[in-house]
Amino acid sequence: MTATTHALELGALQDELADAGYIAEPALAAVLLLMLDLGRPLLIEGDAGVGKTEVAKALAAVRSARLIRLQCYEGLDAHAAMYEWNYQRQLLAIQLLEHDERGVAEKEDDLFSERYLLRRPLLEAITRDEPPVLLIDEIDRADEAFEAYLLELLSDFQLSIPELGTVQATTRPLVVITSNGTRELSDALRRRCLYHYIDYPDHAKELAIVRLKAPGVAAELAQQIVAFVQSVRRIELQKRPGIAETLDWAAALLRLGISTVDAQGAERILETLGALIKTRDDRAALPREVVARLAAAC
Amino acid sequence: MLSLVAPEFESRAAARLTGFAGFLHANGYAVGGADAVPVLDVAARVGVLDAPTLRWSLRALLCGRADEWQRFDELFDAWFAPPNRWQRAERSELERGVVGGEGAAGIGGAGDDDAGAVSRPQASREERLGSTDFRALAGREHAIEIEALMRQFARRLKRLRQRRETRARHGRTLDLPTTIRRSVGSGGVPLHLAWRDRRRVRPRLVLLIDVSRSMADYSFFYLRLARALGAELGDVESFIFHTRMTAVSAALHDVDPWRAQERLHLIAQGWAGGTRIGESLAQFNREHAARSVHRRTAVIIMSDGYDTGDPTVLSGALAGLRRRARRIVWLNPLCNRPGYAPISQGMQAALPHLDLLAPGADLASLRAVLPAVLDALG
Repeated sequence: MTATTHALELGALQDELADAGYIAEPALAAVLLLMLDLGRPLLIEGDAGVGKTEVAKALAAVRSARLIRLQCYEGLDAHAAMYEWNYQRQLLAIQLLEHDERGVAEKEDDLFSERYLLRRPLLEAITRDEPPVLLIDEIDRADEAFEAYLLELLSDFQLSIPELGTVQATTRPLVVITSNGTRELSDALRRRCLYHYIDYPDHAKELAIVRLKAPGVAAELAQQIVAFVQSVRRIELQKRPGIAETLDWAAALLRLGISTVDAQGAERILETLGALIKTRDDRAALPREVVARLAAAC
Repeated sequence: MLSLVAPEFESRAAARLTGFAGFLHANGYAVGGADAVPVLDVAARVGVLDAPTLRWSLRALLCGRADEWQRFDELFDAWFAPPNRWQRAERSELERGVVGGEGAAGIGGAGDDDAGAVSRPQASREERLGSTDFRALAGREHAIEIEALMRQFARRLKRLRQRRETRARHGRTLDLPTTIRRSVGSGGVPLHLAWRDRRRVRPRLVLLIDVSRSMADYSFFYLRLARALGAELGDVESFIFHTRMTAVSAALHDVDPWRAQERLHLIAQGWAGGTRIGESLAQFNREHAARSVHRRTAVIIMSDGYDTGDPTVLSGALAGLRRRARRIVWLNPLCNRPGYAPISQGMQAALPHLDLLAPGADLASLRAVLPAVLDALG
């Protein structure tokens, strides 16, 4: 591929992402293109609410692929993530097979056939006809042991089930891994992935997102909403509002019929602030005077 | 368009590109010589003339964590824009010498590094102050006792269990899926039972050691404890603080005692000065906590609690740490003095957030509180 076609593809991908409802800066589009080229997993880090998960959804929409999601949690083990035998059906089958004429080996083969296999996300992802987008969400919540297990899958794209043998991937899924950084991930995992860090959006990008996702908000109000949220993010808060909060707040303002953000309306802004500020301490950090001052500056 | 340019330009560009991974390695990135090949591969795909795209693509390829990501642009410019190149590379070598390995990355952005390079000559007074004391780090007295105590501590720590369950040979509850699965072999009769039991997961330790002047009598004792513990458990992280928090794991846990001394020498700036516990902890929360502290981490603070800063800052910082960490234990060397009560402003602000406040001025008192500490960590 030459540089010119690459630049063209970059622009095209960016447009497609925008059509899918995701505003991507060129840097992210470049990384996604590279990910498609190299077939490597993409590790995305960033604070909560900056749109990490949305990347996978938008990618699935652009590629018209199925999105398979594995939500990680503490104590997630291989069975919950890969496969499990359907014990109830197997037990039932054992009862039914008692009067069967076939040999024991055959019966057993039958018992451990794919019919009794429950596919969990990871097995599902590598055995489809079309390559899906596999989203492994919040991997930092899972244990290190699971991370090692995952690494094995990501390097070979095969999975061994003792009773069935090795399952080879029919397709290679596009893997997007997100992390909130509550735990240090292993270097081995980081080495195997492309890396992208999503920061809070700047004014222009957030405005574009608000215009796209909340078309009911007037241009001027959208401008003010974004300016207000941007200045709230500069205050030292425990939980800074993400893009989802901005959109929630815009919807709340719209619902209450507030058409402009200014110092006079500080009281009404305070009523809706629950959509933006999610902890009590943060709420205390934004008393009426501060809100009025921020609103006046919009 | 790599293929259209003159061959010698092409080879020069290739040489520059191959060197980039090594340059990042010299700046503390976790990349190696083997990364030169993917770098060339990526450059061939996106072209070397489209600088922004090349930058974004290489950034995704070569960065592995947020702090690397943030420093990348500067390093990219430094390498591919010739005039700054050597100057920057040398400066980064210098910084690595000062703080040493891993610690350098955690301490702060490029701005901080600048300040560090400038202020180092002025720190010589402090270094002299510290020089006699640092020898105590490898002192022979009590060395064997300290090591034995920490080995004991580490061994008991490994026995702690957490709530998560796993399959076990003998256990508390029946593992039904596995039992049924095993029963298939015996015609549905569950001959071989499978059990689940609580998994042993040792909490990971983060040690925050106060080295301010008021702690002068005790801080070396704690540093030696930390060093001995680091030798037993691979994943102990140690920080020292007075008016700011500094990562010392790499230096303190260096296996060579002489080298550990030398490396600590270099970070001794501000040693034995005033204390701002609250601000130091707040800085820890900002810069290190996301990487070092998670739900399996126990934080052990070793300080006398004499804080010259605002107590609300301390209280807020501890509350923040509390939300991240599994346990917070505070070892206070003054605690077992007759008539001591935690009435200093700092201790008052800290108490509501602690799982345990324990004395620990010397080996004997520490040995006495060890069971309580283990209980609190479990």
